Amino acid sequence: MASESTEHPPPPRTEEEEEARIISAAARSLPRDAVRELLSVGVCVRCIFRLFGVRGPIYSCSSLSTSVLCSVFEDDSGTERIGSPINGVVHSPCVIQDPHKDQLFCGVCLGILQFAYDQEQAISSCKKESHMNGFTASIAELVKREGHQIDGFSLEISIPPVILANERAIRLYMKRKYESETWFHEKLVNEHISVKDALKLSIIHSLENHLAIKCGVESFRIRLTYSHSKASLKLQNFSAKDSACKKRKTEYNGPGANGSHMSTGNGGSEPSFSESDAAICRTLQGLEDQVFAELFPMPPEKVSEPCHLNCNCCRMPIYICGRYMKYSRKVSQTCWMVDGERIGEASVEEIIGSNVLPVCKGDSYKFHAAGREDIDVRMLGSGRPFLVEVLNARISPSLSDIQAIADKINNSENHYVEVKNLKIVDSQVWTLMREGEAEKQKQYAALVWISRPLEETDLQKISSIKELDILQNTPIRVLHRRSPMERKRMIHWMETERITGSCQYFLLHLCTQAGTYIKEFVHGDLGRTQPNIGTILGCRAEIVQLDVTDVKMDSFD
Amino acid sequence: METEEPEVTHLKRTTIEEEEEVLRRLLVPEDPLSLPLSPPSAVETNFGSYFAADFMKPGHDQYIYRHANGLCVVGLAPTHVAFAEEGGVKSVDFNVGKSDRSEMKVTGKHKRNARVLEPNSALCKVITKDNSYVVRCCVKGTLLEVNGRLIKQPELLNSSADREGYIAIIMPKPADSLKIKDGFLNREDYKKLKGLP
Repeated sequence: MASESTEHPPPPRTEEEEEARIISAAARSLPRDAVRELLSVGVCVRCIFRLFGVRGPIYSCSSLSTSVLCSVFEDDSGTERIGSPINGVVHSPCVIQDPHKDQLFCGVCLGILQFAYDQEQAISSCKKESHMNGFTASIAELVKREGHQIDGFSLEISIPPVILANERAIRLYMKRKYESETWFHEKLVNEHISVKDALKLSIIHSLENHLAIKCGVESFRIRLTYSHSKASLKLQNFSAKDSACKKRKTEYNGPGANGSHMSTGNGGSEPSFSESDAAICRTLQGLEDQVFAELFPMPPEKVSEPCHLNCNCCRMPIYICGRYMKYSRKVSQTCWMVDGERIGEASVEEIIGSNVLPVCKGDSYKFHAAGREDIDVRMLGSGRPFLVEVLNARISPSLSDIQAIADKINNSENHYVEVKNLKIVDSQVWTLMREGEAEKQKQYAALVWISRPLEETDLQKISSIKELDILQNTPIRVLHRRSPMERKRMIHWMETERITGSCQYFLLHLCTQAGTYIKEFVHGDLGRTQPNIGTILGCRAEIVQLDVTDVKMDSFD
Repeated sequence: METEEPEVTHLKRTTIEEEEEVLRRLLVPEDPLSLPLSPPSAVETNFGSYFAADFMKPGHDQYIYRHANGLCVVGLAPTHVAFAEEGGVKSVDFNVGKSDRSEMKVTGKHKRNARVLEPNSALCKVITKDNSYVVRCCVKGTLLEVNGRLIKQPELLNSSADREGYIAIIMPKPADSLKIKDGFLNREDYKKLKGLP
């Protein structure tokens, strides 16, 4: 019957029929005795297929279960029953689904491929073998609850390292039992399919249907993190014993196991597990088969508790860039706290971030700017390029969302900050900004006072200066936290502008290399910046106020 | 289409002109007459002024300018006995104590090679026509730099001891820096003590 349907597939076939055909074809490709053996030691059906390296649509068959597999064999062999007490197995896998019996989960995948899990945040924790569709439905429900606006997803799965040990144990067990069989080298020696891949193959299609979007390389990630503290602890004890058994190889179920069990910490702390995951894997790889077999129970024991599942989803950061103007001398660029007290009335970072975050519905934001100005310096004219990184944004803002953000900032009551050229960009703009920050020219306007009346020759002298090298010792105001050194900077040009009604004050417009300390260039910082406006004009010079008027950076225009 | 183009450039120009006008209005002081005749200097704005009168010896008057960041600039107060002598300070010698203070090179954020000095540690000697006077640290802390320009231009002390003629920059520990307020005279008390106007 099976061969007939493969040769002439009748088009209108129901999904169930199609699945039944795939399952029976896959099942019949496997050595029956070995499958029975695996079932009898409690290996789940998907683990069996993946250990034999079976590929293809078999994993996503929602009707695939131990009993279905059993029935395929029963159909073939009439009265013979798999896992009957005659085989010496008490818990026949065919009755494992009896709800009145205690559930035991696959000793290899720890229930992951049985879609069993224990989950704090779940709608309903699922501590028994469950149906694939139920599993994917509850993941989809969780994702939807987060309120993400998404058009695709990628799936990441993380499994406890103990599963690798389980896999090795079952393969070693099979090798010892069936190495002489002809099918062994052909099937079991081949690459098997990992639990991660098998789970992906199993659930992706169903998850796509529930979420009504496709899986691919996407900025939105669903992450399934499985952990199993009990089994992982056991594994740690085994590998701990490995170092002990180098001195004396003794019984591994001794009292020492319990002792170290306690000292390994309070089972639940997952970070400590993940930290040692790599170390455990290395230890495992370093073990000879012979040693491994002595340390590890073979076949791996069934477990009564499924893995703990933590499901979270997150979107890669989105970036919004633009330029900001700062009109207040009491607003800092970033939130500035000294001894728990805020300096200044607000910050550019918070004003922009607090307007961006609610629109994008992100978890948090990071503010980056191309350089900075002091709190008492305004940022006028061109504005300063900045970038807001929104973490785990639920919504990808539209053009009108962006306009709304800009309008809200620009029409705020205090009018401390304005933004322009606001747009969504990809992460590459980040590097562009960092590169530009160091190289570009900056323009400033300083209100300067000198100790004598300003003369026409002063104006000429200043405007005749081009590309002037200056030496700046680290200013005293930052010397407590910066390295003391002499920095060479360039003043590209300067222009003066008289102020009507005042003979000792004037506006100094200047264009300098990025990184020049302007205040110090004007007042000289006790002569530590040379030359300075005072030495150029031969008098004392003071800076009354300073504004940045232009920060050149093409990619932000 | 063709007729629209010049209009667009015209529009753009006005916006640029408008922007420049907005910028100018922000930059030019609204009321120039309200500007003070002479504004507070950078030293006055950024530092607290304290004085050590007759430090260890009569007439050895020094100032300590404490920056908000805790750093201290130390120098000679206007009533220092050296200025009373004919010609004032003639030269400055940083070769005091175990090493030449002007030779040390402090580097890095963590100020490697910096010496920790006591209030009575010598910073330099200022030499007049007939005498020489030891200038002291006054505050306990790390010596970040001495004013090496004084070696070639000692006259800076006579012309602007409170600015370009400073002697040294010291970084006290935060706790020590806070104690300066109480340990020394403020400008008012100093003037009163020395009978300055």
